[in-house]
Amino acid sequence: MKEEQKKKVHEKYKIALQKGERFWPDSIYKDLLVSLGIFILLILLATFIGVPGEPKADPSDSTFVPKPEWYFLFLFKFLAVYGQIPLLGKIEWIATAVIPGLVILFLFALPLIDRNPFRHYSRRTMGLSIMGVFVVSMIVLTTISGVPAISGNSGMSTMTLLQFMTGLVIPILAYIIIVGSSFLAKRSRPLASRLQKWTAVAASVLMAIVAVVVVAIAPKTTPAAEVQQANTLSEQIALGQDLYSINCAECHGSDGEGGIIQGVAGLDGFNMKTIHSQDEMYTRSDQTLKDIISYGQPDLGMNPFGKAYGGGLSTTEIDSLVAFMRYSWDDRAEMPAGAISSIPTLNPGEVPSWDVHIQPLVKRYCASCHQAGKQNNNYIMTSYNEMINTGDNAPLVTAGDPESLLLKLINGQEGLDPITGKVIRQMPPTKLLDPQYVDMLTRWVMAGMPQTAEQASTLEVVPMPGTAVDLTGDPTAGLTVFEAQCAKCHGENGIQGIENPGSDDGTVPSLNPIDPEIKGADLKSFITNLDIYIQNGSTPGGDSPKLTMPSFGTQGILTQQQIADVIAYVMSLNK
Amino acid sequence: MMWKKLFAWLDERLGLNDLYKATLDRPEPKGNWWNTLGSASLFLFLLQGATGIFLSVYYTPSPDHAYDSIQYIMNGVAFGWLIRGIHHWGASLMVLVVFIHMLRVFVTASYKYPRELTWLIGVGLLLCTLGMGFTGYLLPWDQKAYWATTVATSIAGSVPWVGPFILRVLRGGTDLSALTLSRFFAAHIWMLPAVLTGLIGVHLYLIIKHGESEFPGRDD
Repeated sequence: MKEEQKKKVHEKYKIALQKGERFWPDSIYKDLLVSLGIFILLILLATFIGVPGEPKADPSDSTFVPKPEWYFLFLFKFLAVYGQIPLLGKIEWIATAVIPGLVILFLFALPLIDRNPFRHYSRRTMGLSIMGVFVVSMIVLTTISGVPAISGNSGMSTMTLLQFMTGLVIPILAYIIIVGSSFLAKRSRPLASRLQKWTAVAASVLMAIVAVVVVAIAPKTTPAAEVQQANTLSEQIALGQDLYSINCAECHGSDGEGGIIQGVAGLDGFNMKTIHSQDEMYTRSDQTLKDIISYGQPDLGMNPFGKAYGGGLSTTEIDSLVAFMRYSWDDRAEMPAGAISSIPTLNPGEVPSWDVHIQPLVKRYCASCHQAGKQNNNYIMTSYNEMINTGDNAPLVTAGDPESLLLKLINGQEGLDPITGKVIRQMPPTKLLDPQYVDMLTRWVMAGMPQTAEQASTLEVVPMPGTAVDLTGDPTAGLTVFEAQCAKCHGENGIQGIENPGSDDGTVPSLNPIDPEIKGADLKSFITNLDIYIQNGSTPGGDSPKLTMPSFGTQGILTQQQIADVIAYVMSLNK
Repeated sequence: MMWKKLFAWLDERLGLNDLYKATLDRPEPKGNWWNTLGSASLFLFLLQGATGIFLSVYYTPSPDHAYDSIQYIMNGVAFGWLIRGIHHWGASLMVLVVFIHMLRVFVTASYKYPRELTWLIGVGLLLCTLGMGFTGYLLPWDQKAYWATTVATSIAGSVPWVGPFILRVLRGGTDLSALTLSRFFAAHIWMLPAVLTGLIGVHLYLIIKHGESEFPGRDD
């Protein structure tokens, strides 16, 4: 800058000062006001939004999708969009080092590069236009940073192309036009600045529109299967229970009871010790348990479960697992109220559904082995469809079929593989399910295997035989029970039932001889049919039958042994 | 009477009057609200410094304890959540305010003679502020911090020739480790603040020396 120009600058500044004000107190109050405003804003942000919690760093969990702080997002997105350029995009360092380096260098050297002595906006259209386009493209890149740059299929999709346009092509074209038109300035300065100004405006508007389109047509990402983060102890224990059922139960049993391992590759027949005992819980600290889970005990056949050692569990998950073990099995630790998500029990008249009852039940007791990658004859039980359709012997369950293989196996019977002829043993192999769960599964299959609670509510409860069918009945004892409970309606020895006005038949059915349909084809179906009636009772057809048969079994009027006795007696009448 | 005497005594030794004239009682061109962004940046710097010092009382820069120490600050320390909240949001706001301040200076062409050096140092301050944001992001040692820093340092490592060297300097090894955390911690609470303080000093000196720039008029 020439000396006389410098002089002019100083003179102008002197005049501006004379027309101006004092820093104290004329202008400092504005500074103080703004600072105060910022301070209040920060207190509000800290109080009402706070700092979002994040799980602890886990170097082994590389599935975490990293996201930089928002003010670096534009750079992040720029790299992603740049990477989509054919050929050039492969040379990463141009985008990571050269371009940011040039921008920073340009910023530093700005006073040297900009030789234009004028300060007013109208004479600096080139600089202002370039900066304007740059800032808008930063904002645009930040806006679309949440949209994935690649939309799956190879090649340039519309999505990629649009992002490419708004993130790179439009701004670059704009810079070229703006700089190029500065050569026009020698002929006509107003024309050049108008061209620059409108290029910047047009480019900005265009970028903004394309960005909005990109955001609008972006596939709505379902909030990615949020890594289950347990915030309270109760949630942690519940998460631990799920993880235990899936990862540990196949060897350690559904509740840490151990036993003979069956069907686990390499460990078949191994007698697993109990791990829920006081001995175990008192002599192992949380840290020891975490270490054992994470490193495994290779000499004893236990695989490492920590992600860092080749397993599938993150540090946070192992923490939850240990919390579950500690609070469930250690009598010194008091389980917080309402901690464990239990399998809901059935209400009277309720049909179980997959969503509400079966899924948690199967997850707790079956999924440990019946998930992909385990020895399970390819029978997977992790989802509704898989439970019904998979398996080498599919279908293992058929709606309404009491002879379904699954039902046989959970009742402790063995099945025959129809293809290989191999014997399939009872399930679960070490310890049968609690009778109420066997009952729940049976009811679910018999009712038609509804998936949702809604579907289940439209279905009727299917009457089911009780455990009496497996007991041996004594006809003589049955006679006594019969005289006390049945004879008053069905008649002495079941020969002549009394009148039942309002029913289709008009009388209570005789049992001697009995309806051939109930007698069925073989003894077994005879027993089952009789039991279904006695257990669940029956309402005869007709408008308003005066008499109905009570549910002797489910209401607990008779014991299962008494029912078996009555069955034996009724059968003796119908030899 | 008493106060006047005391002031005169102090002024004689400290030069309070000269200080007042030099820093506060300065003539200025007609002010504008946009001119408050610089002082707002300074305020945010001081606020970050103050809250940062409080946080450093409880924070432990080791992978084993960093996360838990922050949990303790959030849940165990009286008003710890407020201090950390202000520090967290203050960082974002500071980047924003410094950036808009730079835009304002660019738009009014205040970087021109005689304030070229003020601009130069201002760019340095902007980069330092971003550096503070970058190094501070790792300190909570949570998943977000860990993986974002892994990616960011590997981006720095892609620079040709010197990339691997930069990567090793940043991480203190080939991987993110305890050493990375202590390096970022040192940079965040000692090195960058020292550089920032120095640059801010020069920046302020230059502003007082040349005065705030006036908004350009038609004939400028």
